[in-house]
Amino acid sequence: MKLTYSMLRDYVDTSFNAEQIADKLTMTGFELEEITEVEGDKVLDINIMANRGDGASVIQLAREFLAKVPNATPTELFLRAEKRFPATDTGNRDIWSKTSAEIQTQTCTRFSCRIFENVQNGPSPEWLQLRLRQIGQRPISLLVDLTNYVMMETGQPLHSFDLDKLAGERIIVRNALDGEKLQTLDGTDHELHPHHMVIADAERAIALAGIMGGEDTEVSASTTRCLLESAHFVNTSIRRTRKELGLFTEASYRFERHVDPEGTTAALNRFAELYLEITNNSPVGGIVDVIATKPPLVQLTVFIKRASRLLGMEILLDQAESYLHRLGFAIVGKSPDSLEVVAPTWRSDILREEDLIEELGRVHGYELIPEELPIGSTPIGGPQGFEQLTDDIREAALRCGLDQCISHSLRDIHPLDAEGTRTQVRTPHSPEMAYLRNSILPSLCDAVRKNNAENIHIFEIGRVHNDETESTQLGIISSGSFESPTWRESDPTTADFFTLKGTIEQIAHAIQLPVSYRRTTTDLRFHPTRQARIIFGKSEVGIFGQIHPLVAEKTDLSPTAVMAEITLDPLKTEQTGVPTSKAISRNPAARRDIAILIKKEVPYAEIDQAIVKSGGETLENHWLFDVYEGKGVPDGQHSLAIALQFRKLGENFTDEEANSLRDKILAALESLGATLR
Amino acid sequence: MEQITHVQNDAIAAIQAAKSTEELRTVELDFLGKNGKLSALMKGIGALPNDQKPLFGAKINEAKNTVQSMLDARVQDLKVGELSKQFEAERIDITMPGRTPRYGREHVLQQTTNKIKRVLGSMGFVYKESPELEEFKYNFDALNYPPDHPAMDEQDTFYVTDDKVLRTQCTALQGRVFESTEPPLRVFTVGRTFRNEAVDRTHSHTFHQVDCFMIDRGISMAHLKGTLGVFAKAMFGDEVKVRFRPDFFPFVEPGVDYAISSPKLFNGRWVELGGAGLIHPNILEKYNVDSREFSGFAFGLGVERIPMMAYGVDDLRNFLENDQRFLAQFA
Repeated sequence: MKLTYSMLRDYVDTSFNAEQIADKLTMTGFELEEITEVEGDKVLDINIMANRGDGASVIQLAREFLAKVPNATPTELFLRAEKRFPATDTGNRDIWSKTSAEIQTQTCTRFSCRIFENVQNGPSPEWLQLRLRQIGQRPISLLVDLTNYVMMETGQPLHSFDLDKLAGERIIVRNALDGEKLQTLDGTDHELHPHHMVIADAERAIALAGIMGGEDTEVSASTTRCLLESAHFVNTSIRRTRKELGLFTEASYRFERHVDPEGTTAALNRFAELYLEITNNSPVGGIVDVIATKPPLVQLTVFIKRASRLLGMEILLDQAESYLHRLGFAIVGKSPDSLEVVAPTWRSDILREEDLIEELGRVHGYELIPEELPIGSTPIGGPQGFEQLTDDIREAALRCGLDQCISHSLRDIHPLDAEGTRTQVRTPHSPEMAYLRNSILPSLCDAVRKNNAENIHIFEIGRVHNDETESTQLGIISSGSFESPTWRESDPTTADFFTLKGTIEQIAHAIQLPVSYRRTTTDLRFHPTRQARIIFGKSEVGIFGQIHPLVAEKTDLSPTAVMAEITLDPLKTEQTGVPTSKAISRNPAARRDIAILIKKEVPYAEIDQAIVKSGGETLENHWLFDVYEGKGVPDGQHSLAIALQFRKLGENFTDEEANSLRDKILAALESLGATLR
Repeated sequence: MEQITHVQNDAIAAIQAAKSTEELRTVELDFLGKNGKLSALMKGIGALPNDQKPLFGAKINEAKNTVQSMLDARVQDLKVGELSKQFEAERIDITMPGRTPRYGREHVLQQTTNKIKRVLGSMGFVYKESPELEEFKYNFDALNYPPDHPAMDEQDTFYVTDDKVLRTQCTALQGRVFESTEPPLRVFTVGRTFRNEAVDRTHSHTFHQVDCFMIDRGISMAHLKGTLGVFAKAMFGDEVKVRFRPDFFPFVEPGVDYAISSPKLFNGRWVELGGAGLIHPNILEKYNVDSREFSGFAFGLGVERIPMMAYGVDDLRNFLENDQRFLAQFA
């Protein structure tokens, strides 16, 4: 809402300059958007809160300022505005013979109008044109300009009809007929339906109620008789119609928020007095004022101690009374610790005691609220349970040297999507953002391409939506070497199935869960013989492996890239382990290395199991340190070199003991078909 | 006796003439070794009269000691010289690049989130999460939105069905918590929110929010201001001040917009951070909390705003694009 410093000064006597006024308004909640200078005056653009439609008027902003600044004084004009611009022709019925109005719809609560005759609808006087230009409006003609100007002052939208063009010279507020046609002022043709509310004459719709007048009945230079409409409509009806027909006007802006249901005649009177001032002509005596629904009376009690307690600052009864009075509340009762008030009709936002408490706080000043910390029961804060587990997993991924990504959830279809039904938003922002991702992998794939990197090791933990279920997922893509090229000798390792497997194991270790795998071939995104399902504890959580070469081609990823997709939600039911401390032996270890020949189809997991089982408790550690096939190794077999490390607590291992354990392990391996190399 | 002096002088001359620790080693053997010249003099002791024997022995020992200490001193001198030659040969260019170990870079939004979690967690707020694809009733109805509120429009909110929306605010957690938890309670969340908005430098359809709230007996606007003060100081520095300005949100009454200022940041201007207020009594009553006994506060803010203000990031879009050139600046 734009207004000039002068427009405000018509209502308020103050030594404050425009910037100081804007500061005060900002601190009442009417925030200054910007302040500019136009044709010699300061123009304030004020942001109107969604529940304070009344604030879209000079009078209400003046009231807020006066409430906030006790040494500013209201002008004579403001005092008349408070009395709703009393007119001298009240009680005159001349107008009754000229027109009539009827309300046939529940969404119009009141319809008032005045009639002006012997009109000369020329240009407005310069002062009026200037003020309209300053607030960004185009002056058109006196009748149009005055409706706009009075709306700015009072917040009440007005419309001037050319009375001679109204069939029957009367008004009916009703719902549109099905298929009824109306051309609005902007030249647009509309086909209307019964859920649209219109102003009609005896024959046809002449305006979209509360939004815009019709082209046919518009006032023009030749207009000699004018009917000035000032009505009140229910906000939701206006909003729906406005949106449906794509019309946004100053009138609809106000009706959508809230317009004072009791303000129709005041605006007509303000118009009449300005019209008289400018043209020296008076309107036809009297007002047609049809009231269909009276606004409810909102009477509330505010307890001062409660107000002070909730605001965290002390407000005295007298202060409270003064604040509410200045805001237009009627004080109807008073006790030592409470006030009973009636809310002004323009304040549709006041519905209960807490709303009054806010008023007291606003005027008293939020800057006076001290800073205190809450006392009372304090729980143990921070993440717990699954949220903590998610944090631990993220930490572990970072420690494994993976860079973290955070990507959009809304995206398009992608070759790395998981199998399952995607969730689609009804009115997407764009086709590229129509779906919620059902896997983290497409996001990571985008990140790889974004960085155009050969060597990249990244992860993301985020929400995914698949088959109408939301879950938290960890995705990893790892590709290329782990070290950036340097002038020194670099680590030649590049990402493969086993580097990623090691990472997954570290992550499982970080949350104290055993990890196991299940052979699989069916996920089409992965290399069929290089993929495995991942099991943390007892829960199957996901899959990892090398990318399928055809998918790699489609996605521009390296065919050697490896990926993991781990859903964390099943871990909610896993009992994540607590580490148990074991005594550390101070005695030296004995190491024996063995090399075996064994058929390649014997899974290492079985060899591993046999070693652990036959090695017993004193086998402290063992590791595979070489795999060889080729010369000297029979076809279909490979040679595995395994280190065995034995240690006892409080006692040294003798050579004989070590050898005999080694032999025992070898015997176990022989039963798997291994031969000593 | 002159013999001793003579040999000692020879030894001293040899020590002085030696040019390396190796040559000194030879000198040492020549004079002080088992069969060295000084030791050999000892053999002549038998031929001396008994009364001269002790004197002669003492004299030899004295000579040996003198030679030994001179030799030791000379060895030290030469070693220093030789080491410095070695050091010169081993000189490296310390300006050559180091070998960077691989370490996982944390996303800047994660770093911010972690800091938020530390601060609010340490003040006793329990961290909770709720769905991003939220039920309409938690996103709007539970938060005292009147039916037909403009925020519910498809132009503003992403709908999946009539009952499911991508949450437009993390405040949607509140109804879920109030449904299952009796006050007193302190809870916060950090999460992703969605609005059907055009994307530019300062707007996005997807961004992150903090929502923090508590209910207890006697909670006031002063507690809200105090908590926000501590939070803002922890995030932006000790000199930060908090200011309240009246504003409207359906789920708080009174509602405020809070701004912070600091002499070190934003040229001392007030910068708006988010919305806050006392939890609307309609909401408390909806969840059977007696609004005469209990009151609560809530505040929210955008996560992206924090690094934007603290580090001068000027384009919101950077945060979800995963450009390593951007992210590597922060970790």
